[in-house]
Amino acid sequence: MEDVFLPIAIVSILFIGLPWVIFHYITQWKRARGLSIEDENLLDDLHDLARRLDDRLSTIERIVAADNPNWRPGSSDRPSRDVTRDLGRDTDDWQGRA
Amino acid sequence: MPRHTKFYLDKRNAKWLGVCSGIADYTGLDATIVRVAAVVLTFIGGFPWTLIAYWITAWIANDKPMEFEDMSREDRKFWQGVRAKPGNTVRDVRSRFRDIDRRLSDLEVYYTSHNRRLADEIDSLR
Repeated sequence: MEDVFLPIAIVSILFIGLPWVIFHYITQWKRARGLSIEDENLLDDLHDLARRLDDRLSTIERIVAADNPNWRPGSSDRPSRDVTRDLGRDTDDWQGRA
Repeated sequence: MPRHTKFYLDKRNAKWLGVCSGIADYTGLDATIVRVAAVVLTFIGGFPWTLIAYWITAWIANDKPMEFEDMSREDRKFWQGVRAKPGNTVRDVRSRFRDIDRRLSDLEVYYTSHNRRLADEIDSLR
Protein backbone atom coordinates (compact mmCIF):
# COMPACT_ATOMS: atom_id res chain seq x y z
CA MET A 1 0.00 0.00 0.00
CA GLU A 2 2.84 2.34 0.93
CA ASP A 3 4.47 1.67 -2.41
CA VAL A 4 1.36 2.87 -4.26
CA PHE A 5 0.56 6.00 -2.27
CA LEU A 6 3.99 7.56 -2.08
CA PRO A 7 4.49 7.91 -5.87
CA ILE A 8 0.92 9.17 -6.28
CA ALA A 9 1.45 11.77 -3.58
CA ILE A 10 4.77 12.90 -5.05
CA VAL A 11 3.40 13.05 -8.59
CA SER A 12 0.30 14.98 -7.52
CA ILE A 13 2.41 17.46 -5.55
CA LEU A 14 4.80 17.85 -8.44
CA PHE A 15 2.25 18.19 -11.23
CA ILE A 16 -0.73 19.79 -9.50
CA GLY A 17 0.50 21.49 -6.33
CA LEU A 18 3.58 23.14 -7.76
CA PRO A 19 1.99 24.63 -10.92
CA TRP A 20 -0.93 25.76 -8.79
CA VAL A 21 1.33 27.66 -6.41
CA ILE A 22 3.30 29.14 -9.30
CA PHE A 23 0.22 30.30 -11.21
CA HIS A 24 -1.33 31.61 -8.01
CA TYR A 25 1.71 33.85 -7.48
CA ILE A 26 1.82 34.84 -11.14
CA THR A 27 -1.77 36.09 -11.01
CA GLN A 28 -1.11 37.83 -7.69
CA TRP A 29 1.94 39.49 -9.17
CA LYS A 30 0.05 40.60 -12.28
CA ARG A 31 -2.76 42.08 -10.22
CA ALA A 32 -0.29 43.92 -8.00
CA ARG A 33 1.55 45.40 -10.97
CA GLY A 34 -1.74 46.40 -12.54
CA LEU A 35 -0.69 48.84 -15.24
CA SER A 36 -3.54 48.67 -17.74
CA ILE A 37 -3.10 49.58 -21.38
CA GLU A 38 -4.79 52.95 -20.80
CA ASP A 39 -2.47 53.69 -17.90
CA GLU A 40 0.46 52.78 -20.05
CA ASN A 41 -0.59 55.05 -22.90
CA LEU A 42 -1.29 57.85 -20.45
CA LEU A 43 2.12 57.44 -18.88
CA ASP A 44 3.70 57.44 -22.34
CA ASP A 45 1.91 60.69 -23.23
CA LEU A 46 2.78 62.37 -19.94
CA HIS A 47 6.41 61.34 -20.16
CA ASP A 48 6.59 62.72 -23.69
CA LEU A 49 4.80 65.92 -22.71
CA ALA A 50 7.05 66.45 -19.69
CA ARG A 51 10.12 66.08 -21.84
CA ARG A 52 8.82 68.48 -24.50
CA LEU A 53 7.81 71.09 -21.92
CA ASP A 54 11.16 70.66 -20.20
CA ASP A 55 12.99 71.30 -23.47
CA ARG A 56 10.91 74.34 -24.35
CA LEU A 57 11.24 75.78 -20.89
CA SER A 58 15.00 75.32 -21.03
CA THR A 59 15.05 77.20 -24.32
CA ILE A 60 12.99 80.03 -22.85
CA GLU A 61 15.19 80.17 -19.77
CA ARG A 62 18.24 80.40 -22.00
CA ILE A 63 16.69 83.25 -23.98
CA VAL A 64 15.70 85.09 -20.80
CA ALA A 65 19.15 84.56 -19.31
CA ALA A 66 20.70 85.98 -22.49
CA ASP A 67 18.45 89.04 -22.35
CA ASN A 68 18.79 89.58 -18.61
CA PRO A 69 22.26 88.58 -17.44
CA ASN A 70 21.39 89.01 -13.76
CA TRP A 71 18.48 86.59 -13.91
CA ARG A 72 19.40 83.14 -12.64
CA PRO A 73 17.06 80.25 -13.42
CA GLY A 74 16.28 77.88 -10.58
CA SER A 75 16.01 80.22 -7.58
CA SER A 76 12.56 81.46 -6.75
CA ASP A 77 13.47 84.33 -4.39
CA ARG A 78 16.48 85.79 -6.15
CA PRO A 79 14.86 87.15 -9.32
CA SER A 80 12.63 89.63 -7.50
CA ARG A 81 15.59 91.05 -5.53
CA ASP A 82 17.67 91.24 -8.69
CA VAL A 83 14.81 92.92 -10.49
CA THR A 84 14.52 95.67 -7.90
CA ARG A 85 18.23 96.33 -8.04
CA ASP A 86 18.15 96.24 -11.81
CA LEU A 87 15.14 98.54 -11.98
CA GLY A 88 16.76 100.95 -9.55
CA ARG A 89 19.71 101.26 -11.85
CA ASP A 90 17.44 101.56 -14.87
CA THR A 91 15.37 104.35 -13.36
CA ASP A 92 18.50 106.24 -12.33
CA ASP A 93 19.60 105.98 -15.91
CA TRP A 94 16.32 107.34 -17.19
CA GLN A 95 16.19 110.12 -14.66
CA GLY A 96 19.72 111.08 -15.60
CA ARG A 97 18.72 111.20 -19.24
CA ALA A 98 15.47 113.03 -18.51
CA MET B 1 -1.04 46.44 -30.17
CA PRO B 2 2.59 46.59 -28.95
CA ARG B 3 3.01 47.28 -25.26
CA HIS B 4 5.92 48.64 -23.33
CA THR B 5 5.32 46.37 -20.36
CA LYS B 6 5.42 43.11 -22.31
CA PHE B 7 8.37 40.83 -22.69
CA TYR B 8 9.76 40.63 -26.22
CA LEU B 9 12.60 38.73 -27.83
CA ASP B 10 15.39 41.04 -28.88
CA LYS B 11 16.48 39.52 -32.17
CA ARG B 12 18.69 42.40 -33.18
CA ASN B 13 21.10 41.90 -30.27
CA ALA B 14 20.58 38.15 -30.15
CA LYS B 15 23.33 35.59 -29.72
CA TRP B 16 21.02 32.66 -30.34
CA LEU B 17 17.25 33.22 -30.22
CA GLY B 18 17.20 36.55 -28.41
CA VAL B 19 15.85 35.43 -25.04
CA CYS B 20 18.80 36.63 -22.96
CA SER B 21 19.04 39.94 -24.82
CA GLY B 22 15.26 40.24 -24.40
CA ILE B 23 15.61 39.74 -20.64
CA ALA B 24 18.43 42.29 -20.60
CA ASP B 25 16.29 44.79 -22.52
CA TYR B 26 13.30 44.13 -20.28
CA THR B 27 15.10 44.48 -16.96
CA GLY B 28 17.92 46.88 -17.83
CA LEU B 29 20.61 44.40 -16.78
CA ASP B 30 23.65 43.96 -18.98
CA ALA B 31 23.10 41.30 -21.66
CA THR B 32 26.47 39.68 -20.91
CA ILE B 33 25.54 39.22 -17.23
CA VAL B 34 22.24 37.58 -18.19
CA ARG B 35 23.98 35.25 -20.63
CA VAL B 36 26.74 34.28 -18.18
CA ALA B 37 24.11 33.65 -15.49
CA ALA B 38 22.13 31.43 -17.88
CA VAL B 39 25.21 29.43 -18.83
CA VAL B 40 26.38 29.09 -15.21
CA LEU B 41 22.88 28.01 -14.17
CA THR B 42 22.93 25.37 -16.89
CA PHE B 43 26.30 24.01 -15.76
CA ILE B 44 25.60 23.90 -12.02
CA GLY B 45 22.73 21.49 -12.45
CA GLY B 46 19.90 23.12 -14.34
CA PHE B 47 20.98 21.27 -17.45
CA PRO B 48 17.86 20.30 -19.31
CA TRP B 49 15.54 22.74 -17.56
CA THR B 50 17.23 26.02 -18.47
CA LEU B 51 17.36 24.91 -22.09
CA ILE B 52 13.68 23.91 -22.01
CA ALA B 53 12.76 27.22 -20.39
CA TYR B 54 14.80 29.02 -23.02
CA TRP B 55 13.05 27.24 -25.88
CA ILE B 56 9.61 27.70 -24.42
CA THR B 57 10.28 31.41 -23.90
CA ALA B 58 11.59 31.74 -27.45
CA TRP B 59 8.52 29.91 -28.73
CA ILE B 60 5.90 31.86 -26.72
CA ALA B 61 7.30 35.38 -26.72
CA ASN B 62 6.97 37.62 -29.76
CA ASP B 63 9.73 39.53 -31.46
CA LYS B 64 10.25 43.12 -30.45
CA PRO B 65 8.01 45.40 -32.58
CA MET B 66 9.75 47.64 -35.09
CA GLU B 67 8.67 50.88 -33.43
CA PHE B 68 10.48 49.92 -30.22
CA GLU B 69 13.75 49.20 -31.99
CA ASP B 70 14.84 52.80 -32.45
CA MET B 71 13.95 54.05 -29.00
CA SER B 72 16.30 56.53 -27.38
CA ARG B 73 18.43 55.46 -24.42
CA GLU B 74 16.42 57.69 -22.11
CA ASP B 75 13.10 56.17 -23.21
CA ARG B 76 14.51 52.68 -22.81
CA LYS B 77 15.58 53.43 -19.25
CA PHE B 78 12.22 55.04 -18.52
CA TRP B 79 10.28 51.96 -19.60
CA GLN B 80 12.65 49.65 -17.75
CA GLY B 81 11.82 51.70 -14.67
CA VAL B 82 8.11 51.43 -15.42
CA ARG B 83 8.36 47.66 -15.68
CA ALA B 84 10.31 47.36 -12.44
CA LYS B 85 8.42 49.90 -10.31
CA PRO B 86 5.43 51.58 -11.98
CA GLY B 87 4.60 53.62 -8.88
CA ASN B 88 8.03 55.20 -8.71
CA THR B 89 7.97 56.29 -12.34
CA VAL B 90 4.52 57.84 -11.93
CA ARG B 91 5.86 59.85 -9.00
CA ASP B 92 8.91 60.71 -11.08
CA VAL B 93 6.79 62.09 -13.92
CA ARG B 94 4.74 64.08 -11.42
CA SER B 95 7.88 65.58 -9.91
CA ARG B 96 9.02 66.58 -13.39
CA PHE B 97 5.73 68.40 -13.92
CA ARG B 98 6.14 70.10 -10.54
CA ASP B 99 9.63 71.18 -11.56
CA ILE B 100 8.26 72.62 -14.81
CA ASP B 101 5.54 74.40 -12.85
CA ARG B 102 8.06 75.92 -10.44
CA ARG B 103 10.41 77.10 -13.17
CA LEU B 104 7.52 78.55 -15.15
CA SER B 105 6.27 80.42 -12.11
CA ASP B 106 9.80 81.78 -11.54
CA LEU B 107 9.76 83.16 -15.06
CA GLU B 108 6.25 84.47 -14.59
CA VAL B 109 7.12 86.25 -11.36
CA TYR B 110 10.19 87.74 -12.94
CA TYR B 111 8.37 89.01 -15.99
CA THR B 112 5.21 90.24 -14.33
CA SER B 113 7.01 92.12 -11.56
CA HIS B 114 9.58 93.44 -14.00
CA ASN B 115 7.03 94.75 -16.50
CA ARG B 116 4.62 96.07 -13.92
CA ARG B 117 7.34 98.09 -12.23
CA LEU B 118 8.62 99.21 -15.58
CA ALA B 119 5.14 100.43 -16.51
CA ASP B 120 4.85 102.25 -13.17
CA GLU B 121 8.15 103.99 -13.77
CA ILE B 122 7.12 105.06 -17.25
CA ASP B 123 3.83 106.37 -15.87
CA SER B 124 5.63 108.38 -13.21
CA LEU B 125 7.86 109.98 -15.84
CA ARG B 126 4.90 111.33 -17.80
